Parts: sequence; C-alpha cells; structure tokens
Amino acid sequence: MMKQLNVNQILALIIALFSIAYLVVAFQIPTFPLPRPIDSDLFPKVLGFTLLGLAGLLFLEKPKTQDIPDTPGPEALAQPLLLRPWSRVVITSLAIAAYALLMVPVGFVVASTVLAFGLAWYYGYRRHGVNLATSIGVVLALYLTMTRIMDVYLPTGILPI
Amino acid sequence: MEAFNNLMFGFGIALEPMNIAYVFGGVFAGTIIGMLPGLGPISALALMIPVTFAMEPSSGLILMAGVYYGAIFGGSSSSILLNAPGVAGTVATSFDGYPMAKQGMAGKALAIAAYASFIGGTISIVFLMMVAPLLSRVAVAFGPTEYFALMVLGLTAVVSLSDKSLVKGLIAAVVGVMISIIGIDLQTGTVRFAFGTTHLLDGIDFLVVALGIFALAEVFYILLRGGGGKEQPRNAIGSLKLTRKEAGEIAGPIGRSSVLGFFTGVLPGAGATIGSFLGYSMEKRIAKDGDTFGKGNIKGVAAPEAANNAACTGSFVPLLTLGVPGSGTTAVLLGALLVMGITPGPAMLADRPDVFWGVIASMYIGNIMLLVLNLPLIPYIAKILEMPRPLLLSLILIFCMVGVYGMSFSVIDLLFLLGFGLLGLGMRLFGFPAAPLILALILGDIMEESMRRALQISGGDWMVFIDKPISMWLLIIASLSLILPVVKPLLQKLRARG
Repeated sequence: MMKQLNVNQILALIIALFSIAYLVVAFQIPTFPLPRPIDSDLFPKVLGFTLLGLAGLLFLEKPKTQDIPDTPGPEALAQPLLLRPWSRVVITSLAIAAYALLMVPVGFVVASTVLAFGLAWYYGYRRHGVNLATSIGVVLALYLTMTRIMDVYLPTGILPI
Repeated sequence: MEAFNNLMFGFGIALEPMNIAYVFGGVFAGTIIGMLPGLGPISALALMIPVTFAMEPSSGLILMAGVYYGAIFGGSSSSILLNAPGVAGTVATSFDGYPMAKQGMAGKALAIAAYASFIGGTISIVFLMMVAPLLSRVAVAFGPTEYFALMVLGLTAVVSLSDKSLVKGLIAAVVGVMISIIGIDLQTGTVRFAFGTTHLLDGIDFLVVALGIFALAEVFYILLRGGGGKEQPRNAIGSLKLTRKEAGEIAGPIGRSSVLGFFTGVLPGAGATIGSFLGYSMEKRIAKDGDTFGKGNIKGVAAPEAANNAACTGSFVPLLTLGVPGSGTTAVLLGALLVMGITPGPAMLADRPDVFWGVIASMYIGNIMLLVLNLPLIPYIAKILEMPRPLLLSLILIFCMVGVYGMSFSVIDLLFLLGFGLLGLGMRLFGFPAAPLILALILGDIMEESMRRALQISGGDWMVFIDKPISMWLLIIASLSLILPVVKPLLQKLRARG
C-alpha cells in the first residue's frame, strides 16, 4: 500500500509539475536567426532542469518541524467564520484585488482611505474616530507628497483634487 | 600627501554653505523616503534628477550622495521596525533587526544600525580615497567570467547562511532567477515567459516582488497568527544606549564588514546587497554564537549595516573612475552625471577634480549628518511601533500599494503584489527562505548576461569558468559554501559514533 506523502513530498510534486510546465515553455522559445554559442533558451532550460532536480531532492528530504504549518487551535475555530485566521487572509486579499481594480475610477484618496479604514476596522480596531482621522491623514499626506512634491501622478478619480 | 591635498580641495567645495545645505537636505529626504517600504534609493535618486538640473554638477552630485546614504539608512529603519525592507541592501538587516524589535530592543537595533552605518561609511571613504586607483585596476580585471562566478558565490552564500533547508533555499534562488528573466532578452530581442501580454515585456520589477514577499507576506502572517484581531502587547523601544560589552562585541563585525562591504561595492554589479549578505554570512560563520543569528543577535544588525554603507561608498569607485556603475543605484547616478554634461571615467580626475574630490569630501560630511540627524530621531522613528496593530497593518498595505503604483502606474502590478504576498506567505509557512529568491531576482539577469558574454568570448567553451583563476577560486568557494553545511553535520555524526 502506498504510504501517505509528507509535506515536503507534496511540495516536491507541485514544484516538479511547475518545472515541467516551465520547461515546456522554455523549449518553445524561438532561436535567434544568427548562430550563437548560447541562445535565449539555454538559461531557462538550465533553470527548469535544475528546479526539477531540486524537486527530486526535496522529495527525499525529511520535513523538519518548522516546515509543517500549525493547524488552527480550538480558540481560532471557535471564532465566527469571517474572523478566523485564514478568513482574514482571504478577505484581505479580496480587498486588495478590489482596491487594485477600483483605484483608477474611484481615485487614490477615496480608495486608499476606504481600504485603510475598512481593514483596520475589520482587524478589530474600534476607535472609529481615530481610525478615520489616521486613515485620511496618512493617505492625504502620501497623496500630496507624491503628487505635489515628487511629481508622481496618482489617480484623482471622483475627487476634484 | 597628494591624497590629503586633494581631500582638502574637496572639503573646500563640500563645505560651501549651499553644498552643506544640499548634503543635509539629501540625507534628510533620503532617510524619509528610504523608510517608506517600496521607495528605495533608486526611486529617490531618480526623482532627484530633475532637481539637480539647475545645479552645479558638484553640488548636484553632493545632493545625490546624501540621498543615497540617507535612503539606505532609512531602509534599515523599516527593515528593523516593520520587517519591510524597501531596499534590497537592507534585507539582511531585517534578519536580526526585526527579532530585536520584537524583543523590545528596537531602539538598540536602530542605534547599532546608525553607528555601524557611520563607521562603515567612514572607513570605506578612507579606503576609497587611499586605494581608489589600485582598486579600479582590480575591478577592470573582472571580465564577464569573473562576474558570473561572483554572482554565483553571492547566491550560494545567501542560500548557505539560511538556517532553513539547503534544498529549499536553492529552490527559492532558482525561482528568483526565473522571475528575473521574464520579458525581452536584451541580447537577442526574444520575448521569454511573457505569455502574450505586453505588460510582462519589461519583466517584473524588483519592488513588486520585494514588497510582496516581505511586507505583504508579513501582514498575512500576522493575520494568520491572530495578531490583527487583538491589541498586541506593545514592544518597548528600549534604550538606545549600548553597554561597553555590546560595543566591544560589534566592533569586530563592523570593522570586518566595512572592509568586505567596500571591496564588494567596488566590483561592478555587486553593490550593497551582496555586500550586506556577505557581511552577515561571514559574521554568522565566525561568531561563537552563530546559532543565535536570525533571533536578534546584535552582530547580525551591525555587520550588514556596516557592509551596505561601505559598499555604497565602494560602488562610487567604478562609477567615478571608470564610468561603470557598481549597482542599480549608481547607474541612476551615472545617468544624472551624463545629464549634467559630465562623462565619468579616467579623465574625470584630471578634468573635473572639483566633482571627484567634492563628492568624496561630501561623503564624510554626509556620514556625520546621518549620525547627527538619525540618532536623535530614533525614538520618533520607532514610535511607528506603538501604533495599534490593526491600524499599522492596514497602513503598511497602503504604503505597499503607493510604492508599487507610484513606480509603475500599473494596476496589474498591484495584483502581482498580491500574488507575491501570497507566495511569500506560503514560503514562510513551509520553511522556504525568502532572501535567496530576492537576491536571485536582482542578480538573475546580470548573471545570465555575464554567463552568455563569457561563453560568447570563449566560443561556447564552458571550461572558461575554470580556466580563469579568479573565477575558478570564486566557484570553488561557492561550492564549498554549499557542501560544508551538508558535510559538517555528517562529520559530527561520524565523530559522535566514534
């Protein structure tokens, strides 16, 4: 019967699959019309095969305790679904993705203030006045420094500044 | 004596009231900009180029030198306080600086960084002045073969210094190189791994990866450990004062790393990043308490800080005497010089001694300013740690976004930032070190270019890397740095068995 795979072996298989996909693309890199000792495809091929070899070594390596992520404790699991540790990572990621998509139409100041205030509130900060003042203050300071002093353009969006 | 006279001539220029003001302004602006994760010396210098248009070339370069030093030190502050190095040269500082901050010794870590930067900078300036002509001859002797071997050594040193798995460190390094070669191959014009999108033609910027792997992954990790929901006990900043014993402990590492950093900085392509990693690696290896590196060892802060500042100075040697930038940052400086109508090279010393010696003298003054300005400001800089954790986490996210968007003006880069943040979290959870990835990312394309140029010169003969003595020795040391961590425990086991 096949033994259950350990963490390193699962990671090794994922990395091996990635390196095979990488090599497939590397073998499709077109060659330069003039003959050269080494072309654009050599280095990627070397990298792909090296990674594949390293995946093999990782498969054989016994995982250390520090390589295995902790499972969430009962305290974390007792929290509402939206406040559990992994939910925080997922919701923060979704918020960043939404921010990236909305920053240009809505504008840097509004989008950043909403993101900073909203996430601090979601992470558990309950002094809303301080939160709002800090978020607006820092975002405005950044905006004015970037646009007025450094001449870096940031989207204005719905605000006329 | 000639060097002394030249230096006095340089001081005459650097001590002009306007030039002192420029050094002060440059150091101050550089420190603030360098502190913001994402805005490192390259961005700061690039933004300063328009400011220098109307200046005398010597004044312009003096201002730029101040910004450069300030940004490197500012980057150390965010590395220590937030584990968010905005500058590659200060990544190694975060290895022990951040654990020190978490143990309530942020003030001490920042003070060590300031002292080490000052001493590293000062020692290397003396070196620069005394041996610049000799060193430039050594740097000239480095061809693509030697560069390639040097990069390999830099990478293996970083992989071997990690206390995590050697295989995982190498995997991280290979992935870093893979990221670095995305986009147009500048030698042939061939597009690689862009998957038909125009956005990837220029590759993925270092900043996007660095902020993702370090800062964003740190935020995610804190959230995963439940740090976002509750008020965390605040880390005390602690005293800025060092005991006599601590000063004695860091004196050796600072001295050694200053020399090492300077020589690394002189070699084009190496710069502050490799210098700081090599300094850290060297001290970890020779320290009796090497096992405490990465857990808040003061020598682990002093060594990379002295080395990166010394390397910054060292990188001026090839720039000023050969016209070859020693790092990405000095490449921006080279651009600034060309804009001012100065072509650096061997003739510069004779044609524009005011620029050459003015800059060297302003480095002395810039270093003193850095210490005078930053030490009193440390408690205020460290106040950032006293912010409620939820607020701090959300603001770090905003700083990351501004850093990335302000550089590329691309929404897609913000999504890449998120992707690298999640990758960084995964790496952290499964024991993959992040430092080799980031260093490989910086060195990857230069490494490939050096390798290809070397092979083109040799007509495709791979023995060229062994035939040249410098390259051969560098590669032997690189191999040993990988083999020793594997062989050492085996030998210990054999000895234990008798």
